[in-house]
Amino acid sequence: MTIPVDHLSRTFAALADPTRRAILARLSAGEATVNELAEPFPMSLPAVSRHLKVLEQAGLITRGRTRQWRPCRLAAQPLEDVADWVARYRPFWDDGFDRLEEHLRTLRTGSEDA
Amino acid sequence: MPELTITRVFDAPRELVFAAWTDPDQLASWLGPHGYTGSAVTLATRPGGAWRACIRSPEGDEHWMHGTYREITAPERLVFTFTWDTEGDLRAETLVTIDFADLDGKTEMTFVQTGFPAVADRDGHHGGWTSSFDDLAGFIHHRGEEDR
Repeated sequence: MTIPVDHLSRTFAALADPTRRAILARLSAGEATVNELAEPFPMSLPAVSRHLKVLEQAGLITRGRTRQWRPCRLAAQPLEDVADWVARYRPFWDDGFDRLEEHLRTLRTGSEDA
Repeated sequence: MPELTITRVFDAPRELVFAAWTDPDQLASWLGPHGYTGSAVTLATRPGGAWRACIRSPEGDEHWMHGTYREITAPERLVFTFTWDTEGDLRAETLVTIDFADLDGKTEMTFVQTGFPAVADRDGHHGGWTSSFDDLAGFIHHRGEEDR
């Protein structure tokens, strides 16, 4: 499966901020309003709203459209894409570590011969 | 946060295993998939130092990768960023943390690669986010279970 780089970059950029990560962590426990999300942070409501906008644009959260408070919800797909992306490194390293094992065996054999 | 963890036990003391990671000739001899050959490995093994490596496929395709060392504590720990030079979806920077533990002359290597841009590690002044991300990773895992 190929993930377009712009998606990943946007996900990473959104995650590269501790406030936004904390907001996502809070949302993993269930939906919340902007006011509820803003409460733990020493920042203004507009500042929190800006963070929410970044998260929304990255597809990491969805906002209710109909209800008055527009509650925020975690959308896990972009994080799953990140997980998939990291998993693609596994065969690369596993192969390399097989060869590392071989390399270390050669070293030891060499030193025993010396 | 999603991460890749690989644990291996090597029948060699950890000084040897650590050197296999930090000596350019040795790294070139094993880095990459089966059938590939490492070439042009340069390692400035100091915190903040840059590393660069190239692996060549049996067909002759070259794949470059590079990064920066964050921590080098011989023979216990090695931390560096890892980025493919390639265009496309593998280009983002990842962080690799390797711990080498002594098991009576053998080495247990714990390799962890996170898909988190390393810049995020530098803003870790917001206490407790790492553990919240463990929760988040758990949430994702749980969701995956539901999908199956």
